[in-house]
Amino acid sequence: MEQKRYRPRLEILQGTLDMLVLQTLQWGPQHGYAIGQTIRTESAESLKIETGSLYPALHRLERQGWVKSDWRQTEANQRAKFYRWTPKGKKQLLQERDRWSQLVLAIGTILNPKRSRG
Amino acid sequence: MNPLSWLFRRRAIDRDLDAEIRTHFRMAIRERIESGEDPESARLAAINEFGNVLQTKEEARAVWRGGAVAMVADVWQDVRFGTRMLIKNPGFSLVVIAVLTLGIAGNAAIFSLFKGLALKPLPGVRESSSIAVMLSRTSSGRHTGMSHPDYRYMKEHDQAFADLAGSIMIFASVGLGSDATRSVAELVTGDYFQTLGVGAQLGRTLQQSDDVAQGQHPVAVIGDGLWRRAYGGDPNVLGKTVYINGQPLTIVGVADPEFRGTVVSMVVDVFVPIMMQPVVFPPGRLDQRNAMMLMTAGHLNPGVTITEAAAQTRVLAAQLDASEPIPNFASRATVIPIWQSPYGAQTYWLPAIGLLGGMGLLILLVVCANVANLVLVRGISRRGELAVRLALGASRRRLLRLLFVENLVLAIPGALGGVALASFILPLIGSGAASSAPTQVYLNTSVDGYVLVFALGLSCACALVFGFVPALKTSRVELITLMNDISPRMAARGMMRSALVVSQVAVSLVLLIGAGLVLRSYSAARHADGGFNSQNVTALAIDLQTSGYDETSGLELINRFLDAAQAEPAFESAALALNVPLSLVDNSSRAVTIEGYAPRADEDLSFLYNVVGPDYFRTLKIPLLTGREFTRSDDKNATPVVIVNETLARRMWQTPENAIGKRLKTATGDWRSIVGVARDLKYSRLSEEPRPFVYYPLLQNYVSGLTIHARSIGDSASALRRVRDHVQKLNPSIPITRSMMLSEQTRVALSVYELAAGALTMFGVMTIVLAAIGIYGLVAYTVQQSTQEIGIRMAIGANRMDVLWDFLRRGAVLAGIGAVIGLVLAAAASGAIRSLLYGVGARDAIAFGGGTLVVISIAIVASMLPAWRASRTDPLSALRHQ
Repeated sequence: MEQKRYRPRLEILQGTLDMLVLQTLQWGPQHGYAIGQTIRTESAESLKIETGSLYPALHRLERQGWVKSDWRQTEANQRAKFYRWTPKGKKQLLQERDRWSQLVLAIGTILNPKRSRG
Repeated sequence: MNPLSWLFRRRAIDRDLDAEIRTHFRMAIRERIESGEDPESARLAAINEFGNVLQTKEEARAVWRGGAVAMVADVWQDVRFGTRMLIKNPGFSLVVIAVLTLGIAGNAAIFSLFKGLALKPLPGVRESSSIAVMLSRTSSGRHTGMSHPDYRYMKEHDQAFADLAGSIMIFASVGLGSDATRSVAELVTGDYFQTLGVGAQLGRTLQQSDDVAQGQHPVAVIGDGLWRRAYGGDPNVLGKTVYINGQPLTIVGVADPEFRGTVVSMVVDVFVPIMMQPVVFPPGRLDQRNAMMLMTAGHLNPGVTITEAAAQTRVLAAQLDASEPIPNFASRATVIPIWQSPYGAQTYWLPAIGLLGGMGLLILLVVCANVANLVLVRGISRRGELAVRLALGASRRRLLRLLFVENLVLAIPGALGGVALASFILPLIGSGAASSAPTQVYLNTSVDGYVLVFALGLSCACALVFGFVPALKTSRVELITLMNDISPRMAARGMMRSALVVSQVAVSLVLLIGAGLVLRSYSAARHADGGFNSQNVTALAIDLQTSGYDETSGLELINRFLDAAQAEPAFESAALALNVPLSLVDNSSRAVTIEGYAPRADEDLSFLYNVVGPDYFRTLKIPLLTGREFTRSDDKNATPVVIVNETLARRMWQTPENAIGKRLKTATGDWRSIVGVARDLKYSRLSEEPRPFVYYPLLQNYVSGLTIHARSIGDSASALRRVRDHVQKLNPSIPITRSMMLSEQTRVALSVYELAAGALTMFGVMTIVLAAIGIYGLVAYTVQQSTQEIGIRMAIGANRMDVLWDFLRRGAVLAGIGAVIGLVLAAAASGAIRSLLYGVGARDAIAFGGGTLVVISIAIVASMLPAWRASRTDPLSALRHQ
């Protein structure tokens, strides 16, 4: 009998996920669950992210000094850990976006060679 | 966050993370309930959406640690867990630790010996292992020292050496009259202490200013041992007089307590300026280029290799020889590392140590195999646990690390226990060798950092071998097979366990055959006579110079002693000699000129010699092939005579008979006629090849240090007492510097066999025990796992004998395969130890046959018990069991 073994997350998602998380924080401090929901709805449910993987990403960003966190009350009067940008994080987001655009452009060029050569 | 604060804040972070994830679930479930789902499906959906909680936590936690800290913390956790697991299984843990302790102990002990000979040969000396020794090699391959003029020349011109000191090791009597004791002394150059980086614990060391004019520096530095022994560690010892060979010298310092001179294995008691050689150890030979008596050693300049240094030294020596040739002596100066130096024990012991080291590693293989087997069996019983860990998201790496750490938890006590055991057995090995040696033997075998690091390294390497092989096997299994199929039968019949047992049997057979060969050499060597008969012969040494005798009075005393000895009814015969045979070290040699013989350009005509008195050959029962031995009338007034051995006679004059009447002379003496040809002896070691040898007559060639050989009727104690009485009667102030029987003295030559035989037997027994445990374990395990099968077989008619045979056969087949492999390996390897063997062939049938027999019988005995138990199986209860 063959059974599906536990599948580790794809490495390629990691950097991208960090960028997406930073992006969602542009509207102000947010807690983990809300960040997950935002990414999900904004991507029209097409990105299938195991919500669990958000937390390592958040901690990673915090360790890098790109976000800060504190425990606050939510509107529904629950205690939750809120994350917000740091100035360093803002700069990082800009860089990541640049890199992403370049990557998309580069890959696009390879996938559609004729168009780029004119 | 820095690593340390992470360690402290780890719990806080864990709590924080837990709270965060709990909040997440609460929100997710609540949102789903609000949108109309029922609570239970909301909960499941939230969990499903989240993914693996444990793994998420693990990853988030991992973010907060640096690489090394993470390792340390995780490993610490593993260590705690591993320790708990092992405490829960005390039987398993203790057996593994005990087996490891044995294996490590043997290896650590051998390593300590190796360290004492090669790594740190000279305690108290700066970088002693990197010291290079300069010496000459004669065309016949014999090593000699450097002469004093050559040493001076080399020191001045040799650019390869950063420093170069010289010393002459002598046996000297320390003290006066009957209080004198025999000690090892070194006559040293002025830069000796500076070169070695040795200081004085009291007073000063010897300096350049002590190395100026011959006979003008009556000072000495004494060693720590002599200081404590003879002076009770008196702090006011400076300025006191110590008599060395009867010469008064003023003590100017006590050497560093760790320092024991530059002869590996010897403890040097006194250091005297080399300029005192003509006085302390006459005749004066410091200006003679053919007196090659200095051991020269120093540190090479940075970046200079031994080979380059040797090349440079050869060039210089050739220049020197061209401008000032030495007659009848051809040699080439060269440079060798200290571990190859012929001065001291290293060349004698290192081959044996090499052999023991090889054996030690084999033992370690058996130990690893045994432990691997245990771990493997345990691994099988732990499969369930490991499967659960994998299922909960532990990575394979993490799992392997856990298993590895568990093995380390076993390995480290094993290493420490091994070192402790080694430091316990080392003195036993050492004292065995020391008690048989004529002088204080010292090897730097103390258990120190080197040994500890070695043992820990070895043990961890074992942990790798015995931990990872089975761990890989365990962790490679598919998760699901682990969880569902716990049938152990597959594992019990596993190739790996069988292979381990086979290799154990093979290795133990190799060791047993090695032990057998060396044991047989030992017993052959014990019964070997070396060409002379040492039974009931004394070897009592006296020193005449110390009690004020010169040549004339000394010869007169010798004659009086010979008269007394002849009149003593308890002596069959008695004789005097300079050196004892089978002395372990080559005593001095002399260059000779042979009448009518023109030596080839590079021919070595310097021969080992002894100075012996009348009746020497009769007393030691050394046969003369032709001619006569020295008599009382071969004195100063008679024609100078000499006796040569068979090898020399045949080399120069083809037959012993031809040699009679031929003449030879030393550099300083008259022509001497050959009056006798004696059978060859083993002059230094039992394993030596026949060598040319010359005997000079004592009555024509006075020496002051003498050994009295008296062949006595009656027991050895009374023989020694009688000889002592005779010496006392002649002059009570004559010091007896050594008092033992010749057979005790020659036992030294056996010390290396004794050590090797003892260690190998120990190892052989150890491995065979381990192999027996291995076979027993395997068969017992197979029996246990096959209970059901046995039950079925017996239920359908197999009788007890069938079952017994079946399991016995499994053990015997494995032992047989192992024995064949072992025989092949032993046959291939035994040639390598040929130099250690004596009187037994490298393919000795008794050693090979006996070893095989022992291994096979022990294998059968080891399988017998579990096989018998299998045959006692009650079919009914066996079948009911599952």
